[in-house]
Amino acid sequence: MGAEEKLFLVGDNPFHGISHLSQERSRVRGDAPTNPEYAAKLILISLENGANGFMFSVSETTLSILNVIDRNGMVESLSLYAIVPYAYEYVRLAGKVGGVPGLAKRIVKEVAFSGNLNAIAGGLKGVIEADLGSLVKTYLAYEISRIRSSAGKRARLESIMLHQLITDMCLGFDMDWFFDLYVNHILKIGFKPGFNTGNFAFLVKKFREWNINLEETVIAAPFNKIGFQMNPSREECEKALADMPKPNVLAISILAAGYLKPKEAIDYIANLPNIKGVAVGVSKESHAYETFKLIREKLNSS
Amino acid sequence: MIVKNLKVAVVGMGKMGMLHASILNTIPGVELVALCDKNFLIRRFLRKVFKEIAIVNSVKKLSKIDLDAVYVTTPVSSHYSVAKAIYSENIASNLFVEKTLASNFGEAKELCELARDSGGVNMVGYMRRFAVTFQKAKNLLDKKAVGEPVLFKAYAFSSDFYGVEGNLDGQPSNVGVVRDLGCHAIDLALWFFGDLEIEEAKIKSIVSNGVEDSAYAEVMATNGLRGEFDISWCIDKHRIPEVGVTIECSEGTINVNDDKLELNLKSGRYYRWFRHDLRDTVAFWLGGPEFFREDDYFVKSVIGNHVAEPSFYTSAKVDRIIDEIRAKAD
Repeated sequence: MGAEEKLFLVGDNPFHGISHLSQERSRVRGDAPTNPEYAAKLILISLENGANGFMFSVSETTLSILNVIDRNGMVESLSLYAIVPYAYEYVRLAGKVGGVPGLAKRIVKEVAFSGNLNAIAGGLKGVIEADLGSLVKTYLAYEISRIRSSAGKRARLESIMLHQLITDMCLGFDMDWFFDLYVNHILKIGFKPGFNTGNFAFLVKKFREWNINLEETVIAAPFNKIGFQMNPSREECEKALADMPKPNVLAISILAAGYLKPKEAIDYIANLPNIKGVAVGVSKESHAYETFKLIREKLNSS
Repeated sequence: MIVKNLKVAVVGMGKMGMLHASILNTIPGVELVALCDKNFLIRRFLRKVFKEIAIVNSVKKLSKIDLDAVYVTTPVSSHYSVAKAIYSENIASNLFVEKTLASNFGEAKELCELARDSGGVNMVGYMRRFAVTFQKAKNLLDKKAVGEPVLFKAYAFSSDFYGVEGNLDGQPSNVGVVRDLGCHAIDLALWFFGDLEIEEAKIKSIVSNGVEDSAYAEVMATNGLRGEFDISWCIDKHRIPEVGVTIECSEGTINVNDDKLELNLKSGRYYRWFRHDLRDTVAFWLGGPEFFREDDYFVKSVIGNHVAEPSFYTSAKVDRIIDEIRAKAD
């Protein structure tokens, strides 16, 4: 990992009521983790025990959590890794508002009511000229302004990461120009461009083909001992990881959604090369305490 | 049929059209050659983004393009007219239609006849057949690992419209919950147990008048097996739609859903498999591993010119059962 401090991020899945082990498990957890006050408490406990950041999809829930943390005066202690757009919520919404055209109208309305004049102008240009680049920039400006207004001026927003669904859909379509545009724009506005993917090995291969500088990006992808969600295989993902030019990979799903015990999960990660950090969701105070204490102990020395 | 590069078009570029098109583009031997959508703005963006792919506004315009297969991912209400046009204009003989095949059994039957006459491969997008948990359950049932099925309870739940009565921010799908979500539970039951007949049914409107928001039905299979369907999009704590089946068998119980499979044997033995235990990775992951497996299987079926399941004929039974639920509930 070198001289750079490792990132130990609190993940937000439990705060959205998500468990990738089973939906039943998220129902058993109850509503507590989805309460912003309680979620903020879990993040603060994690922070006291070794966490140093928060990786979150930008949603009303996570923005409320950030607002609580800001009011507690702790927001500057967190490195913020924001994932946009909160795609699954938009997919759900599309089903309610009349598909993709209905969804597009809804987003346009939200941007227009945000009062962000640059965003509105960019959005208009994007629609009139069918310019996806302008629309992407407009949307990013809108999301960043939402984060800023909830997390406050002291917030350390470090990376804007593209949601897995969008990253992987664009990868599938071979949209090299889009990744190029995204990386350059995010760098230009002063953040680290990030990509959340379920196709780590494929993404690395494509980025190399397209001459996208892997050193300038951060990639969040599943890494765990049992190969859960590691596509096409654990072996291929490990091989691609070993070939990375520098440690810029954030391992997610390290507990395989609670299937693995923290110790065995973290032991596996500790032996991987090029890991910049990890993101782990916590749904109870005891989890927050134990998990991040263990992560700090095992991964700081790796 | 010898196909070097399978030339594919996708009709309907909403979320399912985008998903299938992106996956298809990653499958070796597949060439995405045309996209069709009636929305002007969507077509404008598609033209900017996909410069080497033909972008058209109507199915009939696909007849000028050399195609091996077409994906129909438009709203359910137009599946019949779009699929019929593809067959009658000889656009392609191999057709994949997102679920459900049609809006009713009458339309579905007609499409089955057109598909048979075309001689191509046809398939409907009941992607849960490609989920590892349901595949394992099917395998156990076929091997009679728990004896003979006696009773089943199938459910399909989501929270999409939970707690929005009188405060609806949007419009529930006008096809209703049985066709939109419940069709997955019905298809799985048909796959597991063979043909079914509806005995009793109830349908409720909760969110707005005239829209099916929940349904309950009792069924009987040809072999005397009895079963129930419980379907709703107004259930709390189901942020992600969930489909599952509990099957009481002569030697134990199988409990399967999207996430896991449990086996409780009368001998006292208990087994459980999560997705994690069932090799749930794919060459390209988008929206869930089921979608890649489904598309890859359809492509291989077309290239190999063999029957793909669920075929139109198989899936038309889902449309028939939905019609029966509605008729019995009236």
